[in-house]
Amino acid sequence: MKYLTYILRNARRNPVRTGLTIASTSICLFLMMILLSFFAMNTEATSSTRIFNRIVTMNANGFAGMLPVSRVRQIAAMEGVVGATPFQWYGGKYHDEVMPFAQFGVDADSVFTILDEYAVPADQLADFKANKDGAIIGRKLATDRNLKVGDPLPLKGDIYPVDLDLTVRGIYNGDTNRDLRMCLFHYEYLDEALKKTTMSGSGGSLATASSQRSGNAGSIFIKCKSADVTTSLCKKIDEEYRNTEFPTRTQTEEAFGLMFAEMLGDLKNTIYWIGAAVVVSLLFVAGNAMAMTMRERTTEVAVLKAIGFTKGLVLFLVLSEAVLVAGLGGAIGSLGCKYFCDFVDVARFSGGFLPFFYIPWNIAILGLAVSLFVGFVSGLIPAFLAANSSVIDGLRKVV
Amino acid sequence: MIPFKYNVRNLRVRWKTTLMTMLGTALLVASSCILFGLVEGLEYSLKVSGDPLDLMILRKGASNETTGGFEAKKADEVLTLNGIQRDENGPIAAKEILNIAITERTNGTRNNLIIRGVQPASRKLRPDFKIVAGRDLESGKGECIVSRNISRLYKGAQVGGLLEFGEKERYRVVGVFTAGGSSAESEVWADLKDVERNTGRDGSVSCVQIRAASTKDRDDLKKAIEDGTQFKLAAIPEATYFENQSKSSIFLKAAGTLIAVLLTFGAMFAAANTMFSAVKSRTREIGTMRALGFSQRDVLISFLGESFLLCVLGGLLGLLATLPLSFLTIETSNFSNFASVTINFRFGPWVMAVALIMTVVMGLFGGMIPAIRAVRIEVISALREL
Repeated sequence: MKYLTYILRNARRNPVRTGLTIASTSICLFLMMILLSFFAMNTEATSSTRIFNRIVTMNANGFAGMLPVSRVRQIAAMEGVVGATPFQWYGGKYHDEVMPFAQFGVDADSVFTILDEYAVPADQLADFKANKDGAIIGRKLATDRNLKVGDPLPLKGDIYPVDLDLTVRGIYNGDTNRDLRMCLFHYEYLDEALKKTTMSGSGGSLATASSQRSGNAGSIFIKCKSADVTTSLCKKIDEEYRNTEFPTRTQTEEAFGLMFAEMLGDLKNTIYWIGAAVVVSLLFVAGNAMAMTMRERTTEVAVLKAIGFTKGLVLFLVLSEAVLVAGLGGAIGSLGCKYFCDFVDVARFSGGFLPFFYIPWNIAILGLAVSLFVGFVSGLIPAFLAANSSVIDGLRKVV
Repeated sequence: MIPFKYNVRNLRVRWKTTLMTMLGTALLVASSCILFGLVEGLEYSLKVSGDPLDLMILRKGASNETTGGFEAKKADEVLTLNGIQRDENGPIAAKEILNIAITERTNGTRNNLIIRGVQPASRKLRPDFKIVAGRDLESGKGECIVSRNISRLYKGAQVGGLLEFGEKERYRVVGVFTAGGSSAESEVWADLKDVERNTGRDGSVSCVQIRAASTKDRDDLKKAIEDGTQFKLAAIPEATYFENQSKSSIFLKAAGTLIAVLLTFGAMFAAANTMFSAVKSRTREIGTMRALGFSQRDVLISFLGESFLLCVLGGLLGLLATLPLSFLTIETSNFSNFASVTINFRFGPWVMAVALIMTVVMGLFGGMIPAIRAVRIEVISALREL
């Protein structure tokens, strides 16, 4: 530690160079944070659902498959189940924006017992339950669109041939790693509208797409009494419907969330490769700066060695300087990015693509570790060269 | 003017620094190019459409064929309209039905695939549709053909294999096709009747595609379909339809631009760093040049030129590094319908432009301050310096 002052002084000797190195390191790490967080955040948010003991049932063939709404009642009656609600994707347009935010038809009476991490004021919830055309929206969605309780929320059908004239009856709140940009409305409201289109649209033919869509629960969110029963319930539900016309696939909410990450396929690897390329280029940039620094100080290193500094000590001094500079850049880049994302709601600008965005701590710390690694590796060659430089040559050399 | 050779020689003399800076900037340029190559590939696949005479007919209000179902009865009436182009096999028009179902990749992960129930004319409505392995499907036999990309990535999607989507929906793969890089290259094609039966959706279609006989016929058909009381459907020229689809890549494009801008700054600082030390170690030389009569402007241009050259070398190397990626395809999910989409990296004008802009910005702005510093050097004290 007694050399700390010396190292710090050295790092400050060429403030422009140090500044530029720190700047390029921090910018690259800022970027890396954003790329890595995209996946890490989803995984973290998904695994955090484990404590809620929820499972999700969908058609075994995927989202497009049918899941009769009668099953919600059947499943809710099963042993170990606290409650179940349909979660039917609507995907409508809002003022001609295609799929601006997630919209789900749910069972108004039970949805907030099942998604119990969300808080809704009691009077708003009662109001929502009492009004068939009511909707409850997330706090962030309300802020984004400047919506208040009582405002109309018209949605135009994109997947479905019916429009919804909803009114905001409540605003729910929750942790930052939960989706606070959903719009939840009464399942029956959409379903009844869909039944009507069948009759008028095609002369009562039962085989049209729209008739199939009525009575479809989409997926079913189920709250279990305890963590022990989740696995057995998943099995039990799938067994129950195995030989029906619509077999199901039931999994924990965590697995359900991970399924989306799985779908991204090669995109994930591509992003990781880009992250790796950025780190390697940082090695070149930081290594270059350190090498230039040491070249300027050849004489000085020779003097240090002449007055009795050991090889190891010189090595240590140079490496520490490199780690310090890169680490500083890393701290600014990774922690700066973390606080930036905590402060500014980045997800708002993604046009419905991301419901929330934050930098998980483990990624911020990983970023810091990467920068220290970059500092260490980039300092290795200059440090070795300095440690092994000849005192005589160094003293003779004119820079 | 200070001869350019001077700069080239300088870069060569301090070749280690030059190489390090080059590699650093090259990797950053390459990273941006990869991202933009991806966005460009996605846009390309969405924009390649067939003939300008092609119309897509969807339910009014639907913005996508995967969601735009309507009654088959209406579809049949559409097919009887006058003005549809015909050839020896009848009108060039097809009813199509789409299903999206989950299936397993060869690596064990899962994704949703688009299964398109097609009619014979569907092939003529796609640009450059070609069977590249096996044969085309025969209707009513539960057969399917798959795109080359899907065939490579999914379990059972090889010729002779069996593609399974749950209990009831399974097709024997008999052929592999390509379709000029269009979005069809992310799909599985089966016979319309088979898909209807397997998904229990007889009596409805997802969309109808037609090719009009002439521009006038196209406009008449569009009018008849959109305004005719019996239809009330949307008839969208194919080019417009795909133009709208590619809007979903706007977010990716914006994100890519942001990343490119950040990387440019990172690389700019790296270039500035190198140039600063170049100026510093050459203080005496600069003094000498000034004493010889080179003007301040000459020195400025010379150093800017050197920084520019350094970055151009890096940029070129970065662009070269992305070339092998042209042969790569990545497969991911389309965010608008959560179905598989395969993207071939494309390094066209967009990517070149990004690389070029990055390089120019890096070279000019990174070199500007060091160059100005070189200009400001006082001749006398510079010559005195060791």
